[in-house]
Amino acid sequence: MTKEEHQTPYYTIEGIIQRGLPVLIITCIMSILVGQILNSREESLISMPAILILIPSLIKIGGDTGSMLGARLSSALHMGLGDNLRSNPVVRNSVIAASIVGFISSISVSILVFLASSLFGFGMPLLTLLQISLIAVAIELAVVYSATVAIAFASHRFGIDPDDTVIPFIASLGDLVGVAGILIALNLLEIL
Amino acid sequence: MPPESQRDEDIFESQYIDKYLSEYASVSSIVREALPFELIATVGGVIAGIIFSGMTAELEMIPGLLVIYPGVLGLRGNISSTLGSRLGSAIHLGLITDLDRRNPELMNNIYGSLILSVIIAIVLGVLGHYVTLALGFESAGVLKLTLICVISAFTSGIILSIIAALLAIGMFRFGFDPDNVVTPSIATLGDIVSMLMLFISAKLVVML
Repeated sequence: MTKEEHQTPYYTIEGIIQRGLPVLIITCIMSILVGQILNSREESLISMPAILILIPSLIKIGGDTGSMLGARLSSALHMGLGDNLRSNPVVRNSVIAASIVGFISSISVSILVFLASSLFGFGMPLLTLLQISLIAVAIELAVVYSATVAIAFASHRFGIDPDDTVIPFIASLGDLVGVAGILIALNLLEIL
Repeated sequence: MPPESQRDEDIFESQYIDKYLSEYASVSSIVREALPFELIATVGGVIAGIIFSGMTAELEMIPGLLVIYPGVLGLRGNISSTLGSRLGSAIHLGLITDLDRRNPELMNNIYGSLILSVIIAIVLGVLGHYVTLALGFESAGVLKLTLICVISAFTSGIILSIIAALLAIGMFRFGFDPDNVVTPSIATLGDIVSMLMLFISAKLVVML
C-alpha cells in the first residue's frame, strides 16, 4: 500500500499541459480566424437573430461527425485494417455513414431553429433555413471529411497516434469551414 | 512458427476482420449508433444558439466579443471532451474508482485541464484583441476581452469537469462504457454551459 502511495501518478498535471498546449494553441489561432470572419459581418449577423441561433449548432455538425469519423478511422488503423485507402470498406462505410448523420442532423437543426426563431418572433422561412443549412453542411462535410481521412492516414504513416492529432484539429476545422459555409450560403442566396 | 498454427491464425484474423466489418463498420450500424447522439447534440447547439441570439446587446456593447466567442466555445471540445475521454481511459485502467478528492489521477486530470483552460483563455483574449485591431476593427480592449475569456473558461471548466467526473464514474458503476456516454454528453452540455458562462461574464464585465 505504501509502495502505491509513492508511485508517480499515470496522469501528471505537467504531462497533461505539455501534451495539450501545442494543439490548443493551434486551435486557438484557428478560432480567432473564425471569430474574425464573423466579426467582419457583425452588423448583418446581429440584425438576423435566426442566423445567430443557427451558427453554433450548424458548425458543430462537421466537427462532431468528423471527430467520430476520425476516431473510427484511427481505431481501424490501430487494428491494422487501413492498408489500402481507396478500396477500404471501413473508410468508405464510415464516410458514407458520417455524411448521412451530418445531413439528417442539418435538416433537424433547420427545423429546430425555425421553431425557436418563430417562438421568439424573428422567424425566417423554413425553406430558407433549410437551403442555408444544406449548402453550408455540404461545403463543411466535403472539406472536413477529406481532411480527416488525410490526417488520419498521414499520422498513421508517420507513427503519430491519430487519436491525439485528429480530433482537436477536426473540431476547429469544422468551425472554420462551417462559418465560411454559412456565409457562402448567405451570399449565394443573396440574403447577406 | 509451425505452418498449421500460422494458418489457424490467418483464418482467425480474416474471420475477425469480417466480423468487424459486418458488425461495426456497416453503414446502417454506424448511423444507428451515431445519429441519436448527434441529434441530441444539435438540440444542445440550438439552445446555445438561443442564448447567443439573446446576447446581441452585449455583442454591440463589447466589440471583439464575437471574435472570442468561437474560441471560448471551442475550449469545451478541446479541453473538457479530452478530459472526459482521459477519465474514461483512467477508469478502464482501474486508476479511478470513485469520486475521491485525494486520488491524484482524478485531481491531476481536473487541475491539468483547468490550468490549460486559463492559459488558453489568456492567449485567446490577448490574441483576439490584437488581431482585431490589426484588421482595422474596433476592440473593447485587451483587459476586458481577456477577463471575459478567463472568467467564462474557468467557470465553465469547473462545471464541466465536475459533470465529466460524475458522469464517467456514475456511468461505469451502472455498467455503461464511459467512453460512449461522457464525450457526447460533454459536447452537448458543454455548448450550453460555455455559452451561458460567456453571456454571464460579458454582462459582468460590462458592469465594471
